Amino acid sequence: MTTITSSRSVRCAGRTVTRQDVEDFLYAEADILDHWDYDSWLGLFEEGARYEIPTTDYRPGWSLHETGSFVDDDWDLLRARVKRLKSRKAHAENPHSRTHRLVSNVRLSEHSEDCFQVAASFVVHRARDGRFDAYVGWYDHLLVPSEDGLRFRLRRSILGHESLAAGARLSFIL
Amino acid sequence: MGSNPRTVPAPMIVEDWDQLTFRVNREAYRSAEIFTRERGWVWMHTWLYLGHETEIPNPNDFKVRTLGGRPLIFCRDSAGEVHAFLNSCPHRGTVLCRENEGSTRLFQCFYHAWTFRNNGELAAIPDVGAYESGDDFAASMGLRSVPRLEIHEGFVFVSFDPDVPPLLEHLGDAADYMTMIEQQHEGGMTTLAGTQLYSVRGNWKLAVENAMDGYHFAPTHNTFVGYLRESGFAVTDDNQYAYNLGNGHGLLVLTGHGGRISMVWEPRFGEDERVRTEQHRAEMTRRLGETRAHYVADESHILFVFPNLLLFDIEGLSIRQLEPVAPDQTDVRAWQLVPRNEDPDTRALRMKTVVSFVGPGGLATPDDIEAYEAVQRGIQATANSAAPELDYSDMSRGMADEVKGAQGRSIDEGAMRGFWRHWIEAIGLDDGLEINGERPASFLVGRDVR
Repeated sequence: MTTITSSRSVRCAGRTVTRQDVEDFLYAEADILDHWDYDSWLGLFEEGARYEIPTTDYRPGWSLHETGSFVDDDWDLLRARVKRLKSRKAHAENPHSRTHRLVSNVRLSEHSEDCFQVAASFVVHRARDGRFDAYVGWYDHLLVPSEDGLRFRLRRSILGHESLAAGARLSFIL
Repeated sequence: MGSNPRTVPAPMIVEDWDQLTFRVNREAYRSAEIFTRERGWVWMHTWLYLGHETEIPNPNDFKVRTLGGRPLIFCRDSAGEVHAFLNSCPHRGTVLCRENEGSTRLFQCFYHAWTFRNNGELAAIPDVGAYESGDDFAASMGLRSVPRLEIHEGFVFVSFDPDVPPLLEHLGDAADYMTMIEQQHEGGMTTLAGTQLYSVRGNWKLAVENAMDGYHFAPTHNTFVGYLRESGFAVTDDNQYAYNLGNGHGLLVLTGHGGRISMVWEPRFGEDERVRTEQHRAEMTRRLGETRAHYVADESHILFVFPNLLLFDIEGLSIRQLEPVAPDQTDVRAWQLVPRNEDPDTRALRMKTVVSFVGPGGLATPDDIEAYEAVQRGIQATANSAAPELDYSDMSRGMADEVKGAQGRSIDEGAMRGFWRHWIEAIGLDDGLEINGERPASFLVGRDVR
C-alpha cells in the first residue's frame, strides 16, 4: 500500500513552518526574480549559502564537487553572479530576459536540526530575441527559519530536460 | 557533390596582401548549400573527435552520441577494445541502442530482436533458417563500424572515410598539446560525469572563431575580468600569442587570463591551495624537466582541433565538442577532464572554478553565446544585399605581422585566418578563395615546447 506523507508543516529550530509559509516565500522569490530585483534576491540567502544547477544527466546523490555542473556557486561566486547581473556589461542579460515563473507541488520534509528540505516544481518561461523558451524542473532547496523569516541555505534547481534546447542558457537565475 | 548547382556567390574568402585585409563571406554562416558541403566534405572525410576513453572505462560500457548527424554507439567490448558503431540495426535501420549510456554485452534491436555482441558480431537472428543463404547472410549482418578509429592520449577520434591519413598525421603539431594535458599529473587524467549539453542558435564556425579570438576577451567578458581583478589577479593581454598549427588547428597561449589549478596559483584559489600548488609544481619539474614543465604548467592553452574539438586548458580543463545541426544551430557538449588522483579540496575548487567560467551557467560563456547568436541574427542585415561587398566579415587584425613573419598576438585574428584558409580547402570550393597581392610564404609558425 502506498503511504502519502503529509507535508503541511515541519518542526525545525524550535519553530513550526507550514507549507503556506514556504509557498509565500517561493512566490515572493519568483516575483523578485521576475522583476530583476537582485539585491532583494540576495537578501533571501543566509551568509555562506550556495546556488546550484546540476547538468541534465544528474542523478540523485551526485556531489557537484566531484562532477561537472552548470552552476556550483559558493557564497563568493553567488555574490559575484549578482554583481554581474546588475551590471550593464553582463551582455547575455543586457537587455534582460523577460521571465515568468510558476511554482507548484510544494512539499516539506525534515533535514537537520536547523534547516529543512523543500521540494517544488517550477516552470520558467523566458522571452528574449524573439524567442520563447520553457525551463521545467524541480527545486531541491534547504531552508533555514530565522527571526526575519525563511532563508536559503542551499538553492538548487534541477532541470527536467535531456539537454538545454537551442538558445536556452542559464544566464539568468533559474 | 561537386556537380551540385552552385548558388553561393564566389569568393567565400578574400585575402588582400596589398591592403592587408582578410574578409569572409557571411554566406559561410547562413547558407544551406555550404552546410551540406561541410557535412559531405568535412565531416565525412576528416578525423572527428568522438569522445574520451575514460567515458567508457570498463569492459561493456557504452555511450551513444551523434556525430555529423549520424547516431553512433561508442563502446568498449567485453575484451576491453574501444569501438564506434553506427547506432542503427543493419536489418531495417532502427535505432539499436535507445539508452544514452550504460553497460551491456549485447545490443538487441527491440523491433525484430536481432542481437549483436558489443564487438559488433551478430549474435542471433530469430528464425535465421528462413533466410536462404543462412550463414553467409548472418555474416553480412554485423554491426556497421565507423571505418576508422584511433586514440591519442585518451582522446578517441573516428573517421567515416576509410582512406584518411593516420590520426597523428592529421593532428600534426596539435598532438603535443594533448600530450601536455596528459602530462600535467603523474596519474593522468579522467573525464567526470556531469556533461554540459546545450545548443546555440549560431553557426559552428562562430564558436570556433570565438575560441580563437583573444580580442573579444576584455570587452565581452568585462564582468568576469572585473571579478578576477577584484579577487587580486592582474588580468592582462600583453605578451600572449596565437598559433596556426596547420590542418586548420589553432592555439591561443594565455598567461594573463587567470591561474591554473594546482599549477599557477591565484588569490581566489585560497591559501591552502597555494601550498598544494607549490608542491605539485615542484613535482612536475622533477618529472618533466624545467623546460617541459614550464610549457605544460605555466601557460593556459586554448586548442582547436579541426573541425569539432576545443580543449580549454585554462583554470581547469574542459573538453568541448561541436556538432553542427543546421547552418544556424550547433549542439555543444562539454566534459570536465581532471587528474585521476587529486586532493578532495583541490577537486572541489576545480569543479566550482571551471564552471564559474565555462558553460551556459558560467559567468563568462553566456556572453560568448550571446556573441555568436547576435552575429547570426545580425548578418541577416547584409544578406542578398544590392552591395554584395558589404556581406563580408573582417578578420584582418594582425595581418601586418604575417607579412613581417612576426608571431601573431592572441588579441589579433591570425588563428582565425588559419582556420578559414584550411576550411576553404576542406569544403572543396576551388574558386572560393581570392588572393590579391603576394602571399608571404612563412605565415605558419610553430613553436618548440620540449
